[in-house]
Amino acid sequence: MSQTARGTPRPPDPGMPAPRIETEDLPAARLEHVDLLPERVPRQSKRWGMPALVAGGTAVLILGAAGADACEIVADLFARSAILGGAAAGVAGLGFGMIGLGAWREWSSLRALRGVDAVRAALNSRDPVARADAARSWLHELPEGPALLPAINAINDPDAILALLRAGPAASLRLQAEALGRNAALQSVAGVAAMPSPGLAALFVAWRGLRLIRQVAVLHGLRPGVFATFDLFRRTAMAAGAVAGMEVAANTAAHALLSSPLLQHVAGEMAGAGVAARRMIVLARAAAVACSPMPPDTK
Amino acid sequence: MTLLNDLTSSLQRLGLVSSHVRIGVTGLSRAGKTAFLTSVAANLLTRRFALAPLGAGDVPRFDQARHLARLAADPPAWPERTDSVSLLALTTSIQRAALPARHVRLEFLDYPGEWLIDLPLLAQDFSAWSAAMLRRLGVAGMAGITRDFLAFSAGLPARAPADETLAHAGAGLYRDMLGRLREAGMAFLQPGRHLMPAPGPEPPWMAFFPHTGQGGLHDLLASRYEAYLGAVRRDLASPLFANVDRLVVLADVLTALHAGQAAFADTQAALSAAAGSLRWQWSWLEAFAALAELRLPPRAISRVAFAATKADHVADRQRGNLAALMRSLTKLPATGVKTGHFAIASVRCTEDFVWTLEGRPVSAVRGRILGQRAMTRSYPGEVPDRPPEAGFWEHPFLALPQFEPMRLPDGGRLGVPNIGIDTLLEFLLEDVL
Repeated sequence: MSQTARGTPRPPDPGMPAPRIETEDLPAARLEHVDLLPERVPRQSKRWGMPALVAGGTAVLILGAAGADACEIVADLFARSAILGGAAAGVAGLGFGMIGLGAWREWSSLRALRGVDAVRAALNSRDPVARADAARSWLHELPEGPALLPAINAINDPDAILALLRAGPAASLRLQAEALGRNAALQSVAGVAAMPSPGLAALFVAWRGLRLIRQVAVLHGLRPGVFATFDLFRRTAMAAGAVAGMEVAANTAAHALLSSPLLQHVAGEMAGAGVAARRMIVLARAAAVACSPMPPDTK
Repeated sequence: MTLLNDLTSSLQRLGLVSSHVRIGVTGLSRAGKTAFLTSVAANLLTRRFALAPLGAGDVPRFDQARHLARLAADPPAWPERTDSVSLLALTTSIQRAALPARHVRLEFLDYPGEWLIDLPLLAQDFSAWSAAMLRRLGVAGMAGITRDFLAFSAGLPARAPADETLAHAGAGLYRDMLGRLREAGMAFLQPGRHLMPAPGPEPPWMAFFPHTGQGGLHDLLASRYEAYLGAVRRDLASPLFANVDRLVVLADVLTALHAGQAAFADTQAALSAAAGSLRWQWSWLEAFAALAELRLPPRAISRVAFAATKADHVADRQRGNLAALMRSLTKLPATGVKTGHFAIASVRCTEDFVWTLEGRPVSAVRGRILGQRAMTRSYPGEVPDRPPEAGFWEHPFLALPQFEPMRLPDGGRLGVPNIGIDTLLEFLLEDVL
C-alpha cells in the first residue's frame, strides 16, 4: 500500500488508532450500488405452439413431396432427352424459386415487425445511448426523418428525444393514418349501402379493414405479407384496447365524417354503416399504434 | 396567518387547489448543491415524477441531464461550479380513491453558494460592514493571506480622495485575498460576487472593498456598496426568495473540520449569518408593502433541513455525530419553524468496511479517487458531535479524498446511489406528498 495522506496525526483519543488514508496496490473496478441494479428477468425460451407445428409440418410435407415429385419428373425427362430435362428443371426451379421468394418476403416482413418491437423497446429503455440509437435508426427509415437527425444528435436528454419524436414524425404519421381511416370509413359506408346482402357487406367491411391495416403499415415503412398482416391484425386488436379515449375520438371523427345529409341518410337507413365507419377510424388509429415504434405516452 | 396556511393546506390535500412548493437549496460554497439537486431530480424521476415546463419565467432551467451525464460518464466527473441561478421543476399526480387526483409541483432553486453570504449584507450599511469585515480579517488567523490587503488598507489616508485608481487597486487586492481565503477553507467571505461574479460584463460598482474613514474615497466605496446591495436585492432577494417556503441548507462540515479551527469558526459564523437573514416569519409589514405594489405577499419559510454533505466520507457509525454537529452549528431563533438535521451524501462514492489498524478494528470507508484505478481506504478521524474544543485542533481531521461517484446504473435513470436524501425529502415534503 502507498500512503497518500499528509502524515498521520496522533488521534485525539489515545485508545483509537491514528487516522490515515491509504491507496491499495491492485487496481479495482468502479464501485456499484447493488440496490439500484435492475433485476435480471430470465428470458423465456420461445417454442412453437401446436398450430405452428402442424402448419409447418404440413408445409414441409407438401413442399417436400412436391420437390421429390419434381426431382423424379426432371430425372425421368433427362433420361429421355437432355432438352426436355433442362426445360423441366428450369420450370421446377422457377416455380420453387417463386415460392422461396414469397417465403423470403414473408420472413422479411415478419422480421420488420419484430424490428418495430425492438426499436420500441429501445426507445422505452432507460439506457440513454440505446434510446438515441433507436431514434436515429427509426428516423433513417422515414422520408422526412434525416432532417431531424442533427436535432437528435444535439440533445443530451433522453426524455427530450422522445418528446421530439412524438411532436415530429410520430404526430405526422398519426395524422396521415387518420386520413386513411377517414377515407376507409367513407368507402365502408358507400360499400355497405351498395352490397345486396348483409353477409356480403360484412365481407366487404372485413376486406376493407385488412386493406386499411396494410395501408397504415406501408405508411410506417412496413410491407406486410399474409402472415405478417395477420400478426399485425392481432397487434392492432390489442392496441385498440390500449389506446386511451379511442371510443370518444372515433365517435367525434365519425360524426364529423357523416355530416353530409346524403351520408347521414345512408348511415341511418343501412344497418351497420355507421358502425363500420367508426370501426375504420378506430382501426386506423389502432393500426398506427401497432406499427409505430413509439412507446405509449404515459404522462 | 396560521389559519390561512392551514386552510390552504386543507384545500391542497382535498385536491381543490394544486400544491406548488418552492424549495430553496442554499449552502456555503462547494457544499455540493448542484450534486444534491442532480441526485434529487434523478431519484424523484424514478418515482412517478416528471420534469415540469418552466413556462415563461426568467430563471434558467437546471440542466439536470447534463450534470447526470457527467456523473454517469466513464471516467466520471463532478458537476461544474454553479455560476448562476437555475430552477428545477418537477410535477406529479397523486391518485386517490373517491377524490380528484392531486397535482403537486416542486420547484428547487439552485444558486451559487457565494451569493448566499450576501444576504446578511442587506441588513448592514457600508460603515458597519467594513468595520465588521476588517475586524474579522484581523483575527482570522490567516495573517499570511490577509497581510497585503490589510497593509494597503492601513496605508490609506483617513480622508483619501475619490480616486478610481485607488478604488481599483484596493478592490483587486481584496478580491485576490478573498480567493486565497476560500482556498484555505474560509466560508464567510463577503461580498460573494467578488468570488463568483454574475455572468456578463462587470459593472463599475463591483470595485469596492471594506474601508473605514471619511472623505471622497469612502463615499465612492459606500455608493458602490449601496449599488451592490441594490443588485443583490433585485436579483436574489426579491424575485427568487420571495416564494421559497422550504429550505435546504447544505454545508461541508467535514472539510471545515480538516481546514482548522479558524476555518471551522468561519463556517459556523457564515451558517449562522445566512440562516439568520432568511425569511423565517410572516410579516404584516412586508405583506402590506407587497399588496401596495400589487403583488402577492411573500411566503414564510415553514420547514428547513440542515444537512452536512459528503457523509459517505465517514463510516456509518459516525454519521449520527455528523448530524448532531450540524444541529449544534445551526441554531435558529425560536420561530416555530420545523427544522431537521441530516448527514447526507448526494452521490455516494464509497462503501463502509472494517479496517484493522494497530490491531484494532475501526469503521472506515473505501472508494476510488478520481483518476485512479486502485481503491483508497480512508479513516479521516473521529467526528465530534458538537463544536470541538481547543484540544481537538491539535490533531486535525485528515483531508477528504476526492472520490469518484459510484457507477450509476443505466446512466442514472434508475436513480443515484445516495445516503439520506430520501429521509431529508420525507421530512421536507411529508405534508405535501
